[in-house]
Amino acid sequence: MSDAVVELENVWKVFGNRAAEAMEAIRTEGIGKAEVLERFDAVVGVKDASFKVPEGEIFCLMGLSGSGKSTLVRHINRLIEPTAGTIRILGEDIGAMKPDALRALRADKIGMVFQNMALLPHRSVRDNIGFALELRGMDGYRKFKAADKALETVSLHGYGDRLPSELSGGMQQRVGLARALAADPEILLMDEPFSALDPLIRRNLQDEFLSLSANLKKTTVFITHDLDEAIRMGDRIGIMKDGEIVQIGTAEDIVTAPADDYVADFVAGISRLKLVSAAKIMVGADEHVAKFGPVPKGAPEAKPEDDLDTLVSLSTGTDLPVIIKSDGKAVGVVTKDTLLQGLQGGTAA
Amino acid sequence: MSGAETRDNFERDVSVGTFVGQNAAYYDKTFERLQRAELPHWHMNIWGLLFPWIWSSWRGVWLMFWLSLALDVTAITCLMQVVKFSPLLAEAQLNPEANTTLIPRYSGWISTYGTIGWILLIGGRLWMGRQANRWYYGQYNRWRILDSVSNGVAFKRVVLALVIMAICVPITTYRASQLRLDERACLNQVRAGEAVEDLLLRFELTDPTILSATLSAELSESQAAYDRLDALESPTAAQKSERSALRKSVRKLERENKAVNEYLAISTKDRFDCAFIDDFPTLTRIVPPGEVRYRRVPDEAAIAAGDLDATKVIIQQKPPVEGRRVTIFTYNAESIDTGINYLRAQYAGFFDAMTHILRQSLLRVEVAFMQTPWPVTAFLFLALSWAYTNRATTIFVAGSLAFLAVFELWQVAMQTMALVVVATAICVFVGLPVGIWMAKNKLFRWITEPVLDVMQTIPSLSYLVPAVAFFGISQPPAVLATVIFAIPPMVKLTALGILQVPESTKEAALAFGASERQLLRKVELPMAIPSIMAGLNQTIMLALSMATISAFIGAAGLGALVTESLGDAQAGKGLLAGIAIALVAMMIDRILRGIRASFSRI
Repeated sequence: MSDAVVELENVWKVFGNRAAEAMEAIRTEGIGKAEVLERFDAVVGVKDASFKVPEGEIFCLMGLSGSGKSTLVRHINRLIEPTAGTIRILGEDIGAMKPDALRALRADKIGMVFQNMALLPHRSVRDNIGFALELRGMDGYRKFKAADKALETVSLHGYGDRLPSELSGGMQQRVGLARALAADPEILLMDEPFSALDPLIRRNLQDEFLSLSANLKKTTVFITHDLDEAIRMGDRIGIMKDGEIVQIGTAEDIVTAPADDYVADFVAGISRLKLVSAAKIMVGADEHVAKFGPVPKGAPEAKPEDDLDTLVSLSTGTDLPVIIKSDGKAVGVVTKDTLLQGLQGGTAA
Repeated sequence: MSGAETRDNFERDVSVGTFVGQNAAYYDKTFERLQRAELPHWHMNIWGLLFPWIWSSWRGVWLMFWLSLALDVTAITCLMQVVKFSPLLAEAQLNPEANTTLIPRYSGWISTYGTIGWILLIGGRLWMGRQANRWYYGQYNRWRILDSVSNGVAFKRVVLALVIMAICVPITTYRASQLRLDERACLNQVRAGEAVEDLLLRFELTDPTILSATLSAELSESQAAYDRLDALESPTAAQKSERSALRKSVRKLERENKAVNEYLAISTKDRFDCAFIDDFPTLTRIVPPGEVRYRRVPDEAAIAAGDLDATKVIIQQKPPVEGRRVTIFTYNAESIDTGINYLRAQYAGFFDAMTHILRQSLLRVEVAFMQTPWPVTAFLFLALSWAYTNRATTIFVAGSLAFLAVFELWQVAMQTMALVVVATAICVFVGLPVGIWMAKNKLFRWITEPVLDVMQTIPSLSYLVPAVAFFGISQPPAVLATVIFAIPPMVKLTALGILQVPESTKEAALAFGASERQLLRKVELPMAIPSIMAGLNQTIMLALSMATISAFIGAAGLGALVTESLGDAQAGKGLLAGIAIALVAMMIDRILRGIRASFSRI
């Protein structure tokens, strides 16, 4: 068994009546998207996507609309069948699952939150939340309890008897989240859950989800078209473009070392204050001493994982550089020059 | 239940208590067991079992009230057949040689109706007892979402229920225990009443008993005078003419006396029967004007025509004539005829069985509509519109019912309704699954859609011809033609309602592990209900319009009146019947709309 909860391996999705032929041609002849469209009247939705999400991680898939991120996430619970590739959930290949087992997996192991909430208008909030449990044949009493518990989790206690239409958009999305959490699944799929909300409410829900996630430790695949959101939410981020994952890494990795111009353009406007750590910009302690002599006493100290924001605070009010210490040993130095360059986008290299 | 769990349940305990009003502990326990799916199948609510009417109205479970009322009334009606036929059986058994076929027939009816009656009564009660708490739990769940759902206990509702029962039950029971009234009996009653009224006027009396005495006295006086003249050996011419005049007056007095005695002999029971359990009582009979004067207009057309005596000879050709040439149209028309005749002959069993089933079901529904005493039917209509629509509509419904009653169209209208009900029921049973299939299967939709369009576009009269060809003339083919005409909106709007369910909602259901069947039952059908109800409404309206047209092939009811009046060129009759049809349609439409609106609220 692999340690990754969600694992995608070379997943392809080609849309069209002649998808299989097109896939074969891509394999053998290595033709591109344009040619696939021309020869087989087929569209490549997902191109050779591979990633692993370990337990408890929030993995953000980021990309503009049409980049295939929603398509890709629907492969994880097989709402969309891959044209090629393997998808393993909790170590099990879901491509080989029988319909019954697949339904059980969807109901028990994977919760999903949708951009447009997709609540059932004719059911009360509680019955909406208990939907997955009901589908699994849980009796009314336990369903009631579980739904109320989920409601409490998303701080909507007491709204169980309302109809979805009586709630605001933000509340409805909380219901959507509660519905996904009710069956206590191991995996959460969030398909642009907060995109349709007002900025303030979005921010609110993001914070709540983060604190919730810190407690529940659900393995989460989070789709968004908003890089700020991806950086806020994601432990790691996968950037998608035209159905292809162009880069996977932490927010810091992506901001400091974009894989290509597309990603670089994307991250250009992002504030690095909270993203980039001291370790990324510091000059080695020996190197610094060799160049400028030993650092005077009384210089402020920081840890390698402290972000630029902390370094800026430390450097104000003093002319001395900041010493970066790990385990009590100086590993590097950040001068004002390095700090300013780092803020602008440069790295130690 | 442990202490911790009780505390855990605190909130729900309180709300069950608020909902039930009384006996909270029992219902809280029962509801919880229901929720946990631990309630045994035989679990019964004793009150629901023994007194379903009272329990359900006290607690406001109106569905159960109406169901138990309907069940019990049906059961009582069946049992009353036993009461009705038992004396007849005894009578037949007294002189067996009089009519031996009657004995097995009566005893068969008695045992059949008796068995059905007891099964309905006991089985119905058991069902009510079992369902009581389950329905009550359902109502509790609706109440949690919608505060306006009736809750608590109220004696006011029990009083209302008792009033409803007092209106419906005794008269229906009585009706069921009586043999069908002689059609002329009630008319004779009215005639006797009119005769007595005239006589009272003539003798300037008010009391029919005194009238009878006066008439008897006058009769014996005239009789004596006549006898005196009759006894004369050789009467003169004057005496002869006087004698014959006296004889006439004696005859007349005899007749009048007889009428008065007949009138006096009419029992209160007979009066009651004619007033309440048969057709709506004929209120008045009006003397029509003896002479109507029109302005004279020269009849130009008759003068111009001239050859009124000319006759037409129609030469009928037998179809297979050697060397006969026909147009393509005729050829195909005749081929279809042949095909229909072939099918009719080949599958006679099938068509006869269909006809039989249709006739029997129509008969049952007709009995329900026509034999239910008119006050009960009228009350139910008013109650429905009161419960589901506004005051103005209720007044309109009352007015429409009054129109039907006063113009003596009640029974005829009920016949039409029976036909519409049967046709609509078939439309729902066939249309709903077909609609679902259409929504689910693209190919089927592709095939069905044009067929439905054609069904709606073909003039409705055209349906009558094949219906007659396959099923003959009478009510069953009329029902069938009505079904074909009325089914398209049911199918189309069912399919539309399901197709309208947003893709994202379906996707969400699938993402949470719904199977195809669960998707249909828990997501698509509930969300399609407004559309399906709209389809039902349209179907009923179309059925009503087709029920009129199918009078051409023998459908009874208001339509028959219209076609009759067409044949006899009686514009007035046709117009009144037409208005009645319109009123029936509007009545049903308004009530259904009200029901739909209340459905969409939850």
